[in-house]
Order: sequence, then C-alpha cells, then structure tokens
Amino acid sequence: MHRTEDVLATLSMIRQYKLDVRTVTMGIDLAPCSSPDAEILCDRIRARLVHYAGRLRAVCREVEGRYGIPIVNRRIALSPIGRVAAGHKTEGLLAVARTLDAVAAEVGVDLVGGFTALVQKGWTESERRLIAALPEVLSTTRRVCASVNVGTTAAGINMDAVAALGGVLKETAERTRDHDGFGCAKLVVFGNATNDNPFMAGAFHGQGEPDCVINIGVSGPGVVKAAVEDLVAHAPSRPTLGDIAEEIKSTAFRVTRVGELIGREVAARLGVAFGIVDLSLAPTPQVGDSVGEILQAMGVSRLGGPGSTAALALLNDAVKKGGSYASSSVGGLSGAFVAVSEDSALARAVEAGDLTLAKLEAMTAVCSVGLDMIAVPGDTDAETLSALIADEVAIGVINHKTTAVRVIPVPGKKAGERAVFGGLFGEMEILPIHAAGGSADFVRHGGRIPAPLSSLRN
Amino acid sequence: MSRAAGGSAGAVLGMKGDPEASMSSFIISVTAADRVGIVYSVTGALLDLGGNVLELSQTVMRGYFTIILEAAFDSPPSHAQIVEALRERGKRFDLHVQVTEVKDGREQELVPSGEKFILTVLGDDSPGIVHNIAGSLAAHGANIVDLHARVEGRRFSLVMEAMIPHDLTPAAIRSELERYGKAHKLEAFVQHEDIFAATTEPGPVRIGASARVQGQGDSLASN
Repeated sequence: MHRTEDVLATLSMIRQYKLDVRTVTMGIDLAPCSSPDAEILCDRIRARLVHYAGRLRAVCREVEGRYGIPIVNRRIALSPIGRVAAGHKTEGLLAVARTLDAVAAEVGVDLVGGFTALVQKGWTESERRLIAALPEVLSTTRRVCASVNVGTTAAGINMDAVAALGGVLKETAERTRDHDGFGCAKLVVFGNATNDNPFMAGAFHGQGEPDCVINIGVSGPGVVKAAVEDLVAHAPSRPTLGDIAEEIKSTAFRVTRVGELIGREVAARLGVAFGIVDLSLAPTPQVGDSVGEILQAMGVSRLGGPGSTAALALLNDAVKKGGSYASSSVGGLSGAFVAVSEDSALARAVEAGDLTLAKLEAMTAVCSVGLDMIAVPGDTDAETLSALIADEVAIGVINHKTTAVRVIPVPGKKAGERAVFGGLFGEMEILPIHAAGGSADFVRHGGRIPAPLSSLRN
Repeated sequence: MSRAAGGSAGAVLGMKGDPEASMSSFIISVTAADRVGIVYSVTGALLDLGGNVLELSQTVMRGYFTIILEAAFDSPPSHAQIVEALRERGKRFDLHVQVTEVKDGREQELVPSGEKFILTVLGDDSPGIVHNIAGSLAAHGANIVDLHARVEGRRFSLVMEAMIPHDLTPAAIRSELERYGKAHKLEAFVQHEDIFAATTEPGPVRIGASARVQGQGDSLASN
C-alpha cells in the first residue's frame, strides 16, 4: 500500500497544481524521403508521417485515459528540411511546407517542427532558400514551425545567417500583420540547438537519432510554485535558499517521473523508441502556471528587480538536478523558460516597468532557451533585430548552453501598446529596445564570429 | 507499539516461505486495545503450537491494535486450541481472536484479476461513503485489495487500492465515482498505481504489461 501522504501529494500535483504532459513529440527521420523530384519527396514524406504518426492521437488518448494525466499537445519533429530537401528550389520547399501542414492536420497534431536549417558554420544554397522562404511558409501554413541554428560553441556564429534573419522576422511579421505579427512566434533562432527538444516552435529531429522516437515535454510551474509556497508558509523557521533548492529538486523528480512513465508507455504502445524527458518549466498564460510566480514565491516580489537572476539560476539548477536523478533519459532543454507573453507574472512585470529587455537578456544567461515570446516595436529595423539575435546567441555560444530568440516585431504598434497572440501564446505590452538603430554596421560586416576559446575559462 | 518487546515476529517464528503441501494453514486475526507486547504474545502462542507465520500485517487504529496473519502447521490444531492458546498467552491484553482455516481450493481465483488502481475520495464526512463507493466497485467487479479511510474534524479522506478488471476502462469507474462525488460534495479520483510508484519510488519507471505486449506485437520500428 502506498502511503496516504504520498498518494495525496501526487494527486494534488495533478489536480490542483496543473501537472500535465505538455507535449508528446514524435521525432521522425526523413532522410529516406529525399528525392530530386518535389512531388515524390512530398509523397514520401506524407507516407512516412502517416505510417509513424497515424496512431499517435489514438494512443495518446488511451494513455491519458489509463493514467488520468492530461496530454496537452501532440506534435511531430522532423529531420531538418534544409537537408531533406537539399537541392530543391523555393517552389519545392514551399510544397514540402504545404505537405507538412496538411499531414499534421490529418494525423491530429497541433504543430510540426523541423522546417529547419542548421547553418552555424555555413549554409548551402537550399538552406539559404529555405531561410528566404520562411515569411511565406510561416504566413501561409498553420501548423509548420521553423528554426534556424546560427551558432554553436564549436563553430562560432554565422553572422550572414543572423543578418538575413532580421529581414525574415520583419517580413514575416508584416505578412501576419492582422495577428500582431504572430508568424514570428513559429520561428526560433538558436545557438547550440539540441537534437531532441520536444518543445515548439524549436523542435526538430537531429542527427544521431533513430528512425522514430517519442520525446516528452513535461512542465509544471504550478507544481513547483505550490511546493515552494508550502515550504515557505509551513516550515518551522524561515527556510534557507538551500532548503528551497532541495524542495524544488524533489518536486522536479516527481514531475520528471510522470513524464517518463507516459513517454515509455506511449512509445511501447506505438512500438517505437522512447527518447527523452525534457523537464522544462514552460509557463502558460493561466494564473498559477507561471515561472515568474515561482520567483515571487522565493521572495523576489518585483520580477526583473535585483535578485531575479540569482533566483532563476537556483530554480533552473534545482530543476535539472531533480530531473537528472529521476531519469537517465533527460534531454532537450530541461530548465526554466522565461517566455514573456506566455507567462502572466512576467507579462505583468513588463507592464509595471520592472522587467526590461536588458534584464531578460541577463536572466537568459542562467536559464533555458533565451529571449522567448517577446513583442518589440514594429518599426524596429531589421539590423537591430539581427543584433539582438547575435547578442543572445553569443551568450549561449560562450557559455556552452542553448540560447534562442523568438521575438515578434509587432507591425504598426509601438512600445507600451498591447500585442495579443491568443491561446497559449498569450499577450503582453510591447517592450522597447534600448538604444536601437545603432548596430547596422556591425551586422553588415557579415562573416562568422569565430568559435570561442574553451580553455582559460574565467 | 506492540512490536517493541521481543524483536520481530519473523525472528521469533522464522518466516520460511511457502508451506509444504501437507501443511494446514489458518488465517488468524486478533484485536485488542493497544499495549506493548501483543505481537510477542501472539507469535509466541503460535510457536508453542508448532506454527510458522507465512504472512503478517499489523496496524494500530485509534488506539486499537489489529493483526491478521497466516500461520501453517505440520500437525494442525483445532480452531478451539488456537483460540484458547492465544487467549491464554495474551490474557492480560483481553484479545479478540478469530480463526479461519484456509481451504484446499485457495489457489483458485475467487476474485477477477485486473490492474491495480488507486482510488482517492476527499471531502466532507457523512455516513455511508465507504459503503456506497464499495457498492459501485462491487457492481463493476472491481476488487478492493487495500483501503485506508479516516475522518479528521469534518474532513473525510479515503485511499484504496482496487483491482479493476481488464475489460473495464478506468474512465468508467472514474465517471461513476465522480458522479457520486459530485452528488455528495466529495472529490473522487482514479489513478493507475504506476503513477504513484513512479513519483514516490526511486527505482526504474515501470509501465504496464499490456503496453509492453502491445508494443512488441505491433512494432513500427522495423519500417
């Protein structure tokens, strides 16, 4: 018999504090689909996706029913299309995007990732075309997500790609103007992208992965917040930050284990490999499901004020430690996301004037992902956006970690106005970019920022 | 606690595992107001009768001690001899003893097999909750294998392990309990046992046998 206290603790995580499996993401290798004929390529992709993912929706429902744990999203991550569709012209790339959009709807997944180019050291002609086609793809498809890896610690930063992406963001935003530039929310620019990240919009099926794999994204900011609040409220004396770290660690253990259980079961029922659990505290706009609220529970009442970075560092590290102990199959990003529009507490801190872009950049040095879901003024020039990307990617490249940029220049709106993306993407007040417009010459140099030295690390 | 005196029951009687086929065994339950030394007394009486304890479970509830055990005997005593020996050895405890002989057919399944789920019911106390929940489960052929319920103030909580037959979906039980819960201002939850094992035990995560079998038989991996 399980201890009643353990049963009730696990139950309250699920029922009261919104523990769920945020995504079951099926990774599929598309290398066998390659063909110089676009029609054949699309037919093969369609057949392979239906073959592997045809039962994904039904199996997820079975497992959901069996365990009573909600599976919020089902998604597919594909081999980078920049390689799968090597040699294809723009029309061929657009045909692939349309195929992915249609098949994703057919098999019942909400997003499909992998319209991706890995160009950290250089780019092929096809990858250059793919990046140029992104505004068209992101504005005309519903489910296709794109990502571009522009830097790694081993290769440095491809500034030609970074320069191009500033323009891509501008054009994508303009083409989705009536939805506050929402197309940009489906594009992630990475430094040190991971091969097995299950979270969108940046998921793709990287090298070294099997034909098909199930990766799991679990979340649970609400669970961690409740655990910290409970500790602070009921500890016999004021808990130390070490005590708080321990509490977060043990909570992360439980959350990760739920993810592994669901992932192994889904994979077993589908007869495919189980990959990893990515325990990332991914917020949703719902109150109580916020990374910012965890920091507040730790005692940082003004998010973005002094202490925010240290608190986030503690949180991120404790989450990773708990997850690592829980499972040998932890991967992806595994940490805390500071996705501003998706996190009600962070969005409120922006409105209060406490949380600035500069502070967010500092915070991303110690947590997962990077400048995520941030609305900026629509009249921001392309070079400034590129320079913003370069700054964030440099943090990752120098510090041997993944960083990413998902910023949305909202057409026709200025700082302080409201950008509304809807659903899980949330809404926020547009953040100003301090000292914008002075980085064009730097960006236009192009070329590559060399790989950093890996010794003399101070 | 009653176990305090005389070391563990297993050490006293040497829990040897399964009895020989020729042995007879009895299910024995003993209840009394809790005192130090009851386990020592009960197991000593059985040892004197030549008995060997095969399984034992003991708890103290609101000051009352209860033990249930199975004991095997090479030369089986009568019911009366067992009751008398236990009462005599533990007379200072005023033991209430019940003895049931284990029939030959005990290996036959009297209850349907299934998968183990944890059912939890929380809310305001009122008479009949356990009775009604148990009735719902019995009507569906779900067997209760362990149950703990208590009232603290007005707050009722129940956690039980139940075997839900393979042909019954957890959703069916879940919706019935939720319907009952809603009518009585109770929250009712049905979760697979594996969830609790995964979140509270440090060992490797295990998944249901049905999933493994299904996965092996319907593999996509070769394609």
